[in-house]
Amino acid sequence: MIRNRVLFVLVLTGIAAAFFLAFLTHAPNRLLTGSAIPLSQVAHGRLALGLAVALPLLLAPFPPQRPWVHVVVIAAAGLLQIELVALAGSHAADLAAIGRPAERTSLGGAFWILILCAALAIGDAQRRLGRPFLERVLMPIAVAGIVAFLAARGLLDQLSLARELATRRDAFLAAAIRHVVIVAAALLPTLVIGVPLGILAQRHLKLRNRIFPFLNIVQTIPSIALFGLLIGPLSALAALSPGLAALGISGIGLAPAILALVLYSLLPIVRNTVAGLDTVPAAIRDAGSGLGMTPRQLFWRVELPLALPVFLAGLRITTVQAIGLAAVAALIGAGGLGAIVFQGLFANAQDLVLLGTLPLIALALLADALLRLITQAATRTEA
Amino acid sequence: MIELDHVSKRYDGLIAVDNVSLTIDDGELFVLIGPSGSGKSTILRMINRLMPHSSGTIRIGGSDITQLDIASLRRRMGYVIQSIGLFPHWTIERNVGAVPEMLGWDRARIAARVTELLTLLRLDPATVRRKYPHQLSGGQQQRVGVARALAADPEVLLMDEPFGALDPVARDALQIEIAQIQRASRKTIVFVTHDMEEALRLGSRIAILERGRLVQCASPLELLRAPANDFVRGFVGQDERGIRLLSVVPVTERLRPGDDASGEPIAATASLRQALSRMIERGADRLSVADDSGARVGTIHLADLVRQA
Repeated sequence: MIRNRVLFVLVLTGIAAAFFLAFLTHAPNRLLTGSAIPLSQVAHGRLALGLAVALPLLLAPFPPQRPWVHVVVIAAAGLLQIELVALAGSHAADLAAIGRPAERTSLGGAFWILILCAALAIGDAQRRLGRPFLERVLMPIAVAGIVAFLAARGLLDQLSLARELATRRDAFLAAAIRHVVIVAAALLPTLVIGVPLGILAQRHLKLRNRIFPFLNIVQTIPSIALFGLLIGPLSALAALSPGLAALGISGIGLAPAILALVLYSLLPIVRNTVAGLDTVPAAIRDAGSGLGMTPRQLFWRVELPLALPVFLAGLRITTVQAIGLAAVAALIGAGGLGAIVFQGLFANAQDLVLLGTLPLIALALLADALLRLITQAATRTEA
Repeated sequence: MIELDHVSKRYDGLIAVDNVSLTIDDGELFVLIGPSGSGKSTILRMINRLMPHSSGTIRIGGSDITQLDIASLRRRMGYVIQSIGLFPHWTIERNVGAVPEMLGWDRARIAARVTELLTLLRLDPATVRRKYPHQLSGGQQQRVGVARALAADPEVLLMDEPFGALDPVARDALQIEIAQIQRASRKTIVFVTHDMEEALRLGSRIAILERGRLVQCASPLELLRAPANDFVRGFVGQDERGIRLLSVVPVTERLRPGDDASGEPIAATASLRQALSRMIERGADRLSVADDSGARVGTIHLADLVRQA
């Protein structure tokens, strides 16, 4: 009897992917589409280890779902991820030893689907265990750490992704740092403008009714269009005033990227500031004023702490959104990880696209986890 | 002393309070009662300036409240509301200590005061002070609400339907508590309710309001004996009026000397209504009456209950 349908579906999906999709692809060079290498061929000779990891996952949907079953699923799925990466790395190394230097071994569909299914299985099992968020990030961190260790030992060097990285290690690091800088440079002014605006809007219905339509419209403009629209006015501004140009204001580059990101980020920040303050019950404001709190005391002691969880949720959404949008800003010369993605897209080099995308995803997940932890710390007193 | 001198409140062309004049004496438990929309809560909220009044003068201890600093005025008055309004992110200790903290008391003094007040409101300070409001029952929360209002020993306590959302048992217990606190501390309490039973039980004087106008202001006994008009007569409950009259008169008022009744005596502080209830329960037409020390002080007869009050 199937007692965990989610896990059962994930297992079926994983099996189907393993049998019908390429685990790796092998191509004569980085631009050509390669020939498929199935998992069975790669795992040949390491079957015992593979089964030891996969078998618990295959069986886990069926027994009564006790906590220990979830723990086994988390451990097995984590080990499976590490095993898949190690398999891919070592097979790429084997192929590189006998092939020509231009030949590339890339990760195939089966690899990605299996990694994803394992990640979802971990997430599902953790939800069922109901442990606090802090404990839930332990397994992903452990897996990431071991993969990083394998990479540092050079065991993954022959994968196409690693070879793309090897040729532009400095540029990659600079792009990653630049990306974080763009997001931070956009979030700071957003908070400085958005939070006071939200507080005012929450108090004054007229202001609220005026700014939300504007912010909503901004939000509906496609990001590429907004980046494009800003080129005109900003280059005109730079042409008018050399002083502004000296400050780095120009039609392309950092200035329009940050400006556009601020415009996009304002809506969620203002909206969640308002929504957070709206959650404070009227009775509690009434009691506070009735006891003789000044409006300032009421705000700092009562309204702000009570609004904080909703506000921080908004900040989390905004940050994750800004990390994604900043990638598009590469199109107008802002740099960042998006630049690597677009390089890959224009050169039709899939692994270069991945080299830009994977750290983007990692960055978004990291920001999400970090802000969740902050939210939890800030709201612990209410437990 | 709180004086309302020809006070009105208008908003959006609506007259919520219409030319009301009242004097609330020091140490009295003054009840404002009326149906919803009668302006009773508005009057209360004008006294601590949560609502500005449109015309007239409100004085506290002789000074016009519009001339006083709004925050310090409110800190001189405890405020208790129906929805309780405890700060959910603060412990009970911090909730009760809110006003003293604003007044700059030192920590040890606040802690001692919190212990004193929680004890007064029959909550266990050791366990309750570290809890958060949602961990308490509704009745316990309102006890904390009353303790918070009393924290800085205010001259006046404003209570806006404080027990309206509580279950009957908790309401009954808190009514007894507040009556005791009032008797012991002689604090001036202005109490808003729509429950006539509660008003008769607690009030030293009761002001009846109808659509913003003061209809009658009198002691419970006067109100029952001589309702000013049909509205008051209806509000005090025509069918219940006789029984309610009994409930506001203590047995000592109809005491006969001598002790010629058998059985358990009734307390001298009991009302005639309680005496009647006891007689019906026992099938007796007389009860002996004992004072606090248990000494028999006289007898109460059924015939004396039905005598015109």
